[in-house]
Amino acid sequence: MGSDMRERRSVEPAPNVVGAAGKMLAERGIFGMAWLDRNLVVRTSYGRLIAFVAIGLPVTDTLPPLIGLEDDLRDLRDHPGRVVELPSVAIVSAERTTPRINITVLWFDQADRYLLVVSRAVSRSDLEAQLSAQMRARLMAEAQVMATSKELARANAELSRANRDLEDFASIIAHDLAGPMRAMRYLADDLAAALATQAPDADRTAPTRTPTDVVARLRDQTARLSSMLRGLYEYSSIGRKQYALELVDTRQLVDAVVNGTHRPAGFEITVAGAWPAFTTLAAPLDLVLRNLIENAVNHHDRADGRITVAAEDAGSHLAITVADDGPGIDERSQDAVFMPFRTLDRPGAGTGMGLAFVQRTIDSVGGSLSLVSAPSLARGCEFRILWPKTMSC
Amino acid sequence: MSARKIMLLGEIGVGKSSIVRRLVFDRFDGVYSPTIGVDVYTYELENPGAGRPQRLIVWDTDGNFGDAIFQHVYMRQASAALIISDLSRPPTLDTLHRLADTMLDQLPGRYCGLVLNKTDLLPAGTPPPVPDWARERHLPVVATSAATGDNVRQAFLDAAEAMARRGQ
Repeated sequence: MGSDMRERRSVEPAPNVVGAAGKMLAERGIFGMAWLDRNLVVRTSYGRLIAFVAIGLPVTDTLPPLIGLEDDLRDLRDHPGRVVELPSVAIVSAERTTPRINITVLWFDQADRYLLVVSRAVSRSDLEAQLSAQMRARLMAEAQVMATSKELARANAELSRANRDLEDFASIIAHDLAGPMRAMRYLADDLAAALATQAPDADRTAPTRTPTDVVARLRDQTARLSSMLRGLYEYSSIGRKQYALELVDTRQLVDAVVNGTHRPAGFEITVAGAWPAFTTLAAPLDLVLRNLIENAVNHHDRADGRITVAAEDAGSHLAITVADDGPGIDERSQDAVFMPFRTLDRPGAGTGMGLAFVQRTIDSVGGSLSLVSAPSLARGCEFRILWPKTMSC
Repeated sequence: MSARKIMLLGEIGVGKSSIVRRLVFDRFDGVYSPTIGVDVYTYELENPGAGRPQRLIVWDTDGNFGDAIFQHVYMRQASAALIISDLSRPPTLDTLHRLADTMLDQLPGRYCGLVLNKTDLLPAGTPPPVPDWARERHLPVVATSAATGDNVRQAFLDAAEAMARRGQ
């Protein structure tokens, strides 16, 4: 490397220019300059570059970053306007170190020589600041991508869950609506049979219901069917209803729900904890509390039951618990109770929509609901709600 | 004295600067400062094995370059590369693998030495894990510690001797 250059060292050296010229260059951010002849031999050097090049020697032998670049520099002569640039370089040796510099070499055809310009690169702190800015931008972009990916994953999971819910929902509705429909068909048969007994030639010894009795039962079934369809409509409209955000005093709200809950004379409902006033959706919160409290009363097995409704601050959420000392919910039934038309009591005791409403309402506001109940260990169950303190509508 | 250009490549923070500073200044700075751009070191090997004295021009590159370094003007006329990984950060071995494969592909015939740095951070008595792919490619591997100086000079001596043998 560079052996052909050494053969041309016999050219006479030119003086190094320092002093005023060097000062002028330094003021313009130029670390140094040098004129090189056609053979890349340093003829004249300006500024601090003199410490790193030797007059009379090829620059590709002496200036470390240019060592090995003879071919690239010679190539400049055939390509006017092209430059060789080595940006952001520091030259380090045991003897001396340059600041960070940019090295540029260009060919001046008219002067028949090369110009080597070594300018100061921006300071390390500036570079680090730029790097930090780039890193920040990159990290922010990565964070954005991650957030978008997470949101996409969440949306996909939500979509999968919604699809599963839809399938479950369709299955449940088909099954549960079939009950009263089947009953009505049987009752129609019963009515026909009852009317037949009214005929003059009828066998009046056969046991049958009276038409009036059957019609009353038919009316009950149509009322049940209407109730179920109404419940379904309300369930499906949760999340689509538009509510206004308003400042809600949750203590007033829960007191109103408790005071409006019908219960046996010996039944006690206690409101505990800290119930703040904050901007939220009043009607959905009212629906959730009302259904949970009424549920606890209606499904209690004693007339002297105890219910505690408590709230506490949980950072971004209000943590609400509705706990009772009723019979509890068997672990195997704990998922089912949140499905439409599921009730653990005797059929017809309720529509079985209460907890389904609660679950869907809490989902729609971005909260969460969990159930803690282990009847084999103790009585009672506890519904835990995390209700978001901030939401948009 | 002939001059040979050696590139130091590897992920950020694997110890490229520490290795070359251990070679040139025989010291170790515990404070990490990332290299921005490139630092060009000169170091004279008086007696590289049986060969003649050599002047090594060691290019300590910015780890941010990644594979793009092979297209950069900095790589022009490089005779060898030491590709460095950090034994305490296994993912840097993946970068080592990728850079070595790119080096073999882009600069065939050049000396490509693998450096497993920071042996001082391995549990005592633990041999440095030499990747199977390095054995398969017959690439020279040196385990070093810039902190203690172990094998640092040897890594450069190996490169210098190989370059001398190859006439690069």
